[in-house]
Amino acid sequence: MIGRVIVTPRAKPSPLVRAGVPLLSLLVALASGAVILVLTGADPIEVYRTMFDASLNGTAPIERTLTYATPLILTGLAAAIAFRMRVYNIGAEGQLFIGAIAASGLALKLPSTTPKFVMVAVMLLGGAVAGALWAGFAALPKAFFGTDEIVTTLMLNFVALAFMNYLIFGSYSFWRDPSRPVPQGNAIPDSAVLPTISGRLHVGFLIAVALAVSVWLLVRGTTFGFRLRTIGDSPRAARYAGIGVPVATIAVFAISGALAGVAGAIEVSGVTNRLDPKALAIELGYTGIVIATVARMHPLGVLPVAVLLAAVATSGSSMQAIGVQSEVVVLLQGLIFLSVTAGEFFVTNRLGLRPVPRGGPSEPVEALADAGDVPDAADSLRASVGGAL
Amino acid sequence: MNDSVLVLSIASAVVAGTPILLAALGEIITERAGVMNLGVEGMMLVGAVAAFWCGTHTGSLPLALIVGGLAAAALSLVHAVLAITLRVNQTVSGLSLVIVGSGLSAFLGNQGDSPLLEAPNGVDVGPLFPEAFADIPIAGPIVFGHDVVVYLTLILVGLTGWVLYRTSAGLSLRAVGEDPAAADAAGLGVVRIRYLATVIGGFGAGLGGAYLVLAVLGTWQTGMTAGAGWIAVALVILAGWRPWLALIGAYAFGALRGLGFTLQIARVDIPSDFLAMIPFVAAYLVVVLVSASPARSRRVAAPAALGEPYNREHR
Repeated sequence: MIGRVIVTPRAKPSPLVRAGVPLLSLLVALASGAVILVLTGADPIEVYRTMFDASLNGTAPIERTLTYATPLILTGLAAAIAFRMRVYNIGAEGQLFIGAIAASGLALKLPSTTPKFVMVAVMLLGGAVAGALWAGFAALPKAFFGTDEIVTTLMLNFVALAFMNYLIFGSYSFWRDPSRPVPQGNAIPDSAVLPTISGRLHVGFLIAVALAVSVWLLVRGTTFGFRLRTIGDSPRAARYAGIGVPVATIAVFAISGALAGVAGAIEVSGVTNRLDPKALAIELGYTGIVIATVARMHPLGVLPVAVLLAAVATSGSSMQAIGVQSEVVVLLQGLIFLSVTAGEFFVTNRLGLRPVPRGGPSEPVEALADAGDVPDAADSLRASVGGAL
Repeated sequence: MNDSVLVLSIASAVVAGTPILLAALGEIITERAGVMNLGVEGMMLVGAVAAFWCGTHTGSLPLALIVGGLAAAALSLVHAVLAITLRVNQTVSGLSLVIVGSGLSAFLGNQGDSPLLEAPNGVDVGPLFPEAFADIPIAGPIVFGHDVVVYLTLILVGLTGWVLYRTSAGLSLRAVGEDPAAADAAGLGVVRIRYLATVIGGFGAGLGGAYLVLAVLGTWQTGMTAGAGWIAVALVILAGWRPWLALIGAYAFGALRGLGFTLQIARVDIPSDFLAMIPFVAAYLVVVLVSASPARSRRVAAPAALGEPYNREHR
C-alpha cells in the first residue's frame, strides 16, 4: 500500500486556489472531451481551435458569444438568487418560455407605430410579470404546503413547452404567421426589436449586466437580501428571528421567475424576432442553474461563467465545417459542468498522502490529529453550506 | 371485445409505463440509500442509444438491454464519484449528468457513415405468450399480450420490494439513507453501499431507456425520452419511495400518455400538444394535492439523509 489519502478542510482557500482549481477543472474537461473526440476519430486540436476561432477570435465571434451569453446570464441569475435561499427553482426553462410568449404577444398586439422605447419596455416588463406569475404555480404550494419545488417547477417546464409548441405548431393562433403554410411565428414589428450596440450584439446584453449588478446589490446591501441569506444559511434561525419564510419564498420565486421571463422577452426582441419554439427550447434554463453553481451563486460571478459557456455553445455550428457533429459542444458543456463541480471539493479540502503506519492503524490518534486541523465550527459550517449550494 | 378502445388503451398503458417504471425502480434504490440522482433523463438517453446500437449490430434483445443498462450505469458512476466521494451538490451533479447524457447520446446517435438516426430497429420485441393467449377475452391483450420485458419488470418490482423490506441488505440500504452516521457506527460501509445503490439506479434508468427505444418507439431520435426520465424522478416522490406505488403510478402515467391515442380513436378533437401536457399536469396536481392533504403527516417521508453527503469527520 502506498498510504492513505488524508482529506482536511482548508481554513480559508487562498485566491490562487479559488481561481486556479476551476481553471484546472476546465482543462480536465477539455482533456476528457479530447479523449472522446480521438475515440470517435476527430482531431481534438482542430476542434478546439475551430471552436476558439468561432467564438472568441475577432469582433464578430465575440459579438455572437455575448449575444448568446445574454439569456444565460439572466437564467443564471434566476437560479443564483433562488438557490442562495435554498429555493430550488428548476423552472427557469418554462418561465423563459412564458416570458417569450407574453413579450411576443404584446409586440404583436400593440400598434406597430408605438415608440421603440415604450414598446421594448412594455415587452420586457410583460415578460418579467408573466415569468413571475408562472413561477407562482410553484411558489404558492411551496410557501403554504411545503410542496417539493423541484418536482413542480420541472413539470411546469414541460407544460410551458407544450403550450408554446401549441401556439406555433398546433394551432393557427395569434402568434403564428398566417401567410406561411410551414408553421412559423409571426414577425414582431421593427419598433419591437431591441437596438444593437455593435454588429449583432443587442442592448439586451447591457440590460443583463445591469440586472446582475442589481441582483448583487439586492442580495448584499438590503434588508431583503439579508433575510434571504439568513433563510439560506439556516431556515430555523430565520424563523426564530421572526422572518416570514413563506413571504420570502414567494418573493424570491417571483424575482427568479421575472429574471427568466425577461430572458425570454430579450430573446424574442433581440434575437428571434418572433415566437420561435425551436430557437428558445435549447435548455437555457437548465444551463443557467449549472452556471449559477459554478459561479458559487454569486450574481457577478455569473457573468464570466455565462460568457465562457456561451463561447462553447455558440461554436457548435462551426463544427460542421470540419465534419464533426455539432452536438459535441453540448457534451463539452456537460463535461465542464461536471469537472468544475467536482473541482469545488478541492477548493474546500486539501488532499495529502500519509503512509500507513507499521503495526496496524492507529485510528484514535489520527482522529484527534484531524480534529485539531479543523479550523473552527464557523468555517466547517461555511464549508458545508458551500458544499450544499 | 379485445378490439375495444378501453382494452387496447389499458394494454398500451402497461407498455408506455414500463420504461418509466424501470427508471423509477432504479431511482428508488438510489434515493433509499440517501443519494439523489436527478440525471435519470440523461442516463435513459445514454442507455437508449447504447441499446439501439447494440440491437442493430446483434439483433439480440437481452444483449441490447444489458448493454443499455451498463452504459447508463457507467454514467451514474460519475454521479457517484461526485456526490459520494467528492460530496458536491447532488442537484447540480444530477443536472450536469442530464446535459452530458443528452449531448453524448445526440453525438453518438449521429456519428459515422451510417448513423443510428436513420437505422432500423434491429431487435424484434414480440409478445411472450403464443398467439392463442391473445384471443382470451379482455385478459388476452391486457395480461398475456406483452413482451418479456413487461413481465420481467413486474418481477423486478416484487424483487425490489422484497429486498428493501425483507432482507438484511435492504435494511442496510435504508439505514444508510436514513442515518448514515448510525449505519457507519454499526459497521456498515456507507460509501460502498451508496456507490452500489447509485450504479444499480443507473442500470435501471438504462434498462428503461433501452426498452423505450427498442419496444415503445422502435427508432432512435435525438432527445427521444422527451421528459420520461423527469417523470420517473417525480414518480419516485409521488410513490413515497415505495416500489408497489411506483408500479401503479407508472401505469397511470402510461395511461395518460396513451390517452391521446384513445381520444383520437374516439374522435375527440384535442390538440396533440395539450395531450402531451396531461402527464405533467397530472404529476403537478398530484404533488400539490398530496402535500396539501391533511393526512400528510402520516405519509411516508423522504429518506432522512436524502441528498446529503456523508462526511465521517462531521459525525
